Amino acid sequence: MIFHVFKTIQTERYNQSIRVTECAREALLGANVQNGVIYVITNHTTTGIAVNEHLECIESDIQNMLARLVPENDPYLHARMLPTYGQTAGNPTGHLKSHLTGNHCVFPIVDGEVRLGAAQEIFLMEFDGPARRTIHFTIIGE
Amino acid sequence: MNIDVHVHPDFYERICGDAELVALRRHSLHILQSAVKPIETVFLQMRNAEIDKSCLLARDYSASDGRPAVSNEEVAAIRDMYPDRFFAFASIDPSDPNHLASLEYAYAELRLSGLKLHPGRQRFYPADRRMDKIYEMCVAYDKPILFHSGLSFEPDCLSEYARPPHFEETASRFPKLRFCLAHFGWPWLRETAMLMLKYPNVYADTAMLYFDSAREFLETSLTKDIPRTWIDRSLRRQVLFGSDYPRFEQMRMSAAIAQLGFRDSTVELIRGGNAAEFLAE
Repeated sequence: MIFHVFKTIQTERYNQSIRVTECAREALLGANVQNGVIYVITNHTTTGIAVNEHLECIESDIQNMLARLVPENDPYLHARMLPTYGQTAGNPTGHLKSHLTGNHCVFPIVDGEVRLGAAQEIFLMEFDGPARRTIHFTIIGE
Repeated sequence: MNIDVHVHPDFYERICGDAELVALRRHSLHILQSAVKPIETVFLQMRNAEIDKSCLLARDYSASDGRPAVSNEEVAAIRDMYPDRFFAFASIDPSDPNHLASLEYAYAELRLSGLKLHPGRQRFYPADRRMDKIYEMCVAYDKPILFHSGLSFEPDCLSEYARPPHFEETASRFPKLRFCLAHFGWPWLRETAMLMLKYPNVYADTAMLYFDSAREFLETSLTKDIPRTWIDRSLRRQVLFGSDYPRFEQMRMSAAIAQLGFRDSTVELIRGGNAAEFLAE
């Protein structure tokens, strides 16, 4: 069986890490799957899905690392009027951080539970907020 | 208080219940992919941009569109719901035979804060004498005008109508009329500066981002195309912060203004002090 659930999240800051582990558990509850896998997938090109420990210091270190790798004021090419949008592109750093972070993660489902490691949490990583974001939970199993 | 004098609320969820109207707005503004945003997102975006209040601009091109893309009643309704966060500017189409009655209603009944006009789209020269009664009404109500000037990305626009020297006669004949040349008249920045230098009732806003990043473009425009000293020494009380949201992002435009090397007091004037004088509310 395959189940698809989506959730909309309002982010609040330009760069932000938002825990969505409980959202994955809630999605699984609705699916009634005992064994399988769950994918957590972001719907956007300026966000990412990350797995790490929920510690303020780690979350800051990750955001700081990405800021060092992708500084705000580099001469990016994605800084120009986009005729098909009618808007000027201003979010190259969001795209590049998203590229580095990846768009999804996957976890096993065992005995009806998302099998996370003791320190593992799932994060929606916002890189161009604030915005209303959508993440998908795709559950495959029986 | 930091004020963004140039915000298009076309895709605020509050006024996007009609899909056909949203499609008209996308075409009319030529902003094709901007998402409809709940007011919560709008406020968070303003907070991240350090904007306290935004001027919401109605848009009435009835002669070509058949109806206002954003009506005076709509911007008034949003302002009424959140009076601490928004001012609301009227729009009228000078080709509409009832435009003066519409403006009177907008000022007297809807209590709108000023008027937005678009010479390039509405096809009038600012010095055209048929505009006089509009200007006289704005003076009578002590309301400013935000004129589109320079390049416009909207369809069916000719920039020539909005070239800065065409506004000089209005500045000269109506010294009590405060008006702002939106987009600083880009690319005719020096012509805009010329008007501002001579006419204290002429303002300009910063809503321009046609090449490069916000920081790069505003640095080129406001510190090189016209030297930084021109604003910091002479025009500092006539420059208003405007973003042209959602065509350009408030957060990046606002951050860029602080990075141009102006005196702190000049940045404060641009971000809000001058707008308070301009609006006179």
